[in-house]
Amino acid sequence: MAYIVGIPILMLLAVIQATVLSSLRLLDGAPDLIFLAMVAWALTGNSRQAMAGALFGGLLIDLLSGLPLGATAIIMVIVVYLVSLTAGRFWEANLLMPLTTVLWSSLLYHGLSLAVLLALGRTLDLSFALGRVILPSTFLNLILALPAAQAASSLADTLYPPEVQI
Amino acid sequence: MSRSSSQALFALILIMIAAGLLVLNMGGFLSPVESLVLRPIGGAQSWLAVRFYAVRDLLASPADVATLRGQVRELQSENAQLQQEIIGLQEQVAQAQVLSALVQYARSQPDSHYLAASVISRDVSPFLRSVWIGAGSDDGVAKGMPVVTDRGLVGRVVEVFASVSRVQLITDPSSVVNVRLQTSRADGSLQPQLNGEIWVGTISQDAEVSPGEIVLTSGLGGNYPPDIPVGTLTSVRRRDYELFQQAVLQPSVDFRQLELVLVITNFQPLPFNQSSGP
Repeated sequence: MAYIVGIPILMLLAVIQATVLSSLRLLDGAPDLIFLAMVAWALTGNSRQAMAGALFGGLLIDLLSGLPLGATAIIMVIVVYLVSLTAGRFWEANLLMPLTTVLWSSLLYHGLSLAVLLALGRTLDLSFALGRVILPSTFLNLILALPAAQAASSLADTLYPPEVQI
Repeated sequence: MSRSSSQALFALILIMIAAGLLVLNMGGFLSPVESLVLRPIGGAQSWLAVRFYAVRDLLASPADVATLRGQVRELQSENAQLQQEIIGLQEQVAQAQVLSALVQYARSQPDSHYLAASVISRDVSPFLRSVWIGAGSDDGVAKGMPVVTDRGLVGRVVEVFASVSRVQLITDPSSVVNVRLQTSRADGSLQPQLNGEIWVGTISQDAEVSPGEIVLTSGLGGNYPPDIPVGTLTSVRRRDYELFQQAVLQPSVDFRQLELVLVITNFQPLPFNQSSGP
């Protein structure tokens, strides 16, 4: 059921990210909707679905960017897998969890993207990339972290209502 | 098998699938599939882009906003449907104005054949400077074709699918454009910087270059046709101990406001250089 709902949602997020958010940037950074969605979904405990979604979403991002198909998908699966390791830990119910997770995972996601571009032979100024792309993008991701976590939690409750013992 | 190792195995399988796709893509085997997937996505992007540009244009011009908001309030009370039609018609007028300018430009360049295409999105990766246009191989677009507006050079097509194409902007640090300064006739090459600035480098020390000089494509290298306006020099740096002069270029095209572009379809570029990607 989650896959049926997830695929159109991811496609919608990809189109919004490419068309709308890529024109509304803070410096050169923009929020990463698909990444946020998959991190938030991983935090609900549905790790496998989040990783599968990360593969599909990453491929969509690669299709809509100049990166080779599969590069972002690999990065996103790695990051979402690492995020899923933190799900269910003692601080699960903490409000800070989505924020902390999005902070480090966002930095890791962009860092790995940067590494891929460098490996592909792109000329990149690291301080410029950090100051104008990675930090602004991470900041925007942080702003959207709590709404994304809340939306994912609500969707998870709708798709998998908690069992009630009568 | 414990839950954590099962998860790790699942992640590994997914990574291997992605890596397999990466290899297949680099071999060029996935282009038909990409075209197939991009067709509906491109359609959705075009649909959303038209509406987004309409809203952005409204918000970007304060004078119009005040007037239009007033009109919208009146119309809201009368008929919500009429309100939507007005916004739609305004966008059509704006598009017609842009198209009119493009047609004028195309008429002034009778040797070139043009294909008008709308910009449907920008590169999702913030590290790359390229845009997607709503025309692809079905419309006759091919890799390497130059892209312009009535103001000047935009870039060139670097990736083509059935219904959409990716255009690498001249502001992308990996783009290569050879240029000629109109007054001094000196040759140079664009050196786009990571911060968005464009420098013109490799200008001979003997050339008398001054700010305000118009920069055109030179046609050298075979990537672009000659004499397409690129921009104007805003400052020149000349040091005796350096081999070349350097100048800062103000592009004639506003890359933030790109909505419609022209693809020059009858230009035959020299074999496409893969090193200018991705």
